Amino acid sequence: MILGDLLGLPVFGTPSRGSAAGEYDGGRLGKVADARFVLDGQPHQLTSDARLLGLIVSPHSSGSFLGYERTEVRHPWPLPQLLRWRHRGSFLVLWEDIAFIGREEVQLRQGFTAYSTALDRPE
Amino acid sequence: MTLNRKPPPPAAGRILDAQLHLMDRQVLDVDAVPVTTVDDLELTDVDPNAEIPPGSPAPVIISLLTGPALGTRIFGGRPPSRRLVRIPWTDVSDVSVVIRLGVSGEHLDAGWVQRWVRDKIIARIPGGDHDPG
Amino acid sequence: MKRLLGVALGILTAIGGFVDIGDLVTNAVVGSRFGLSLAWVVGVGVVGICLFANMSGRVAAVSGRATFEVIRERLGPRAGLANLSASFFINLMTVTAEIGGVALALQLASSVHYLLWIPVAAAAVWLVIWRVKFKIMENVTGLLGLTLIVFAVALFLLKPDWMVLAGQAFSPSVPGEETVSAYWYYAIALFGAAMTPYEVFFFSSGAVEEGWSIKDLVQSRINVLVGFPLGGFLSIAIAACAAVVLLPAGIEVTSLSQVVLPVAEGAGKVGLAFVLVGLVAATFGAALETTLSSGYTLAQFFGWSWGKFRRPAQAARFHLAMIICLLVGIAVLATGVDPILVTEYSVVFSAIALPLTYLPILIVANDPQYMHEHVNGRVVNALAMVYLVIILCASLAAIPLMILTGAGS
Repeated sequence: MILGDLLGLPVFGTPSRGSAAGEYDGGRLGKVADARFVLDGQPHQLTSDARLLGLIVSPHSSGSFLGYERTEVRHPWPLPQLLRWRHRGSFLVLWEDIAFIGREEVQLRQGFTAYSTALDRPE
Repeated sequence: MTLNRKPPPPAAGRILDAQLHLMDRQVLDVDAVPVTTVDDLELTDVDPNAEIPPGSPAPVIISLLTGPALGTRIFGGRPPSRRLVRIPWTDVSDVSVVIRLGVSGEHLDAGWVQRWVRDKIIARIPGGDHDPG
Repeated sequence: MKRLLGVALGILTAIGGFVDIGDLVTNAVVGSRFGLSLAWVVGVGVVGICLFANMSGRVAAVSGRATFEVIRERLGPRAGLANLSASFFINLMTVTAEIGGVALALQLASSVHYLLWIPVAAAAVWLVIWRVKFKIMENVTGLLGLTLIVFAVALFLLKPDWMVLAGQAFSPSVPGEETVSAYWYYAIALFGAAMTPYEVFFFSSGAVEEGWSIKDLVQSRINVLVGFPLGGFLSIAIAACAAVVLLPAGIEVTSLSQVVLPVAEGAGKVGLAFVLVGLVAATFGAALETTLSSGYTLAQFFGWSWGKFRRPAQAARFHLAMIICLLVGIAVLATGVDPILVTEYSVVFSAIALPLTYLPILIVANDPQYMHEHVNGRVVNALAMVYLVIILCASLAAIPLMILTGAGS
């Protein structure tokens, strides 16, 4: 799988089958804006495997955050504000909550959790 | 970027966002010589025709891609897998402002154009293999 | 002396922006048509290029990353490629014009037809790029280019009415016989030339070539604060000379010989000798700057190994790209096209390249991953945002004005 193919794909929830539907179930939620990895996989000589932690879904734009996904980057006004407004409502969905990755779309599992996308660990 | 959502459970390793930390970054070899830019990433496959069984292991990054992967990322389409030029993830030693490899670029597939231009053209011009005077 | 030579990078960079062949002629045209009523634009341009060149130098010194790496990394491949195409085209056209410019300057000095000088000029540019150390290259061309100060000396010797010149410069108005659109067309051309993107490509890559680090931040700032104001000063001196001699005489500037006419009148044969050395050095320096910038931008976009500090064989694609650029330049000039006209159309491509170059520099200069504690201060950010808006307006206005005025004619 090539990451470039995954970025920009539309993301859908799984249609609820009469059960208590969560706020996001069913319908189009946005597009894949980024993929988050964590370096906690199998260790190698130089580095560890980078495991897909989850996808960042942005409801309005699959464009770049230009680096402003990190909350500690706040300058220069008004660029961070503009970029964050363009990506308002974006969320992180973990790999465990992804039901299906096809060639044309990504589907999330029922009752998935939308986490904050904020990245504020020191680099 | 809604701040009222809850943060994800803490992860045990360093977090890397593909677009932010990896894609389009400069790759340097063990001697700090530029090799290429990260044009795309190759992950372990996920069956595109079937639902992912709960509890499946997450995909991992197999390699950094370069060469034709840049063209398809800009203009669309998908190069045949055998034409992709790969740098294995296991060669990566550090990810910061640049991506550092723990190996020399001399033996990587990604360096063949540089080697070809060097051996067939530049090294044959007088002075091409000497330090600037 | 060491401090003095330490600013050669800034001076050489500024020469390419303010007194390359296209600008030499544009400055004289502007002076002969508008007096000093456009001098304020040079001032605005100098502040802008100082602001962003200093940022690009700081990013290079702190993180070791040159400007086009930053552009690719932050804008991604599509917008990066759009910028690469526009910037590369500007570079290529300017390389072509500068080689022609060196040849024209040599024709002025030797009376040998310029077409014969073209292969000589191109070969000399290539040899310097191929074999000469970066430090020697920038010191020699930077210092020799300084002989253009003779324009300022000539201005003094011409004993102009300073009050009239000051009046034109400080309460600018469109001269009666000129149209408002032609005035603004030249305003944008001067601003675009001052902020032309290959300056930051060259300056930041030069900082990497010289191995600048955090301890060189002061040096970077001195380079910027000496080089670009000096470039602006030369640019205004050329316009002022033209305003004093050519404007009253009603001479319309179409060639390089008319540019040096006021120097000959004011400073005689000695002045003429200086100005010829200056013209050759400035156009040659600009040719080096733009040829290297072509190599830098391509190599940094694609992640190739680059730099004059390496053996050519260790930066093979970088050197091959520059050889091809020079050959293309020779081929274009061989058709007999006027080298000076070639640069006029680069304004159009600047419209694309300027915003896509300065936005990523500004963003990364604020990124603590690159800059640690050396991120931009508030004042610099506020000024830079104002300039981004100016750049955007100039970009949007450039093409309509060019069509409206028939490129200022």
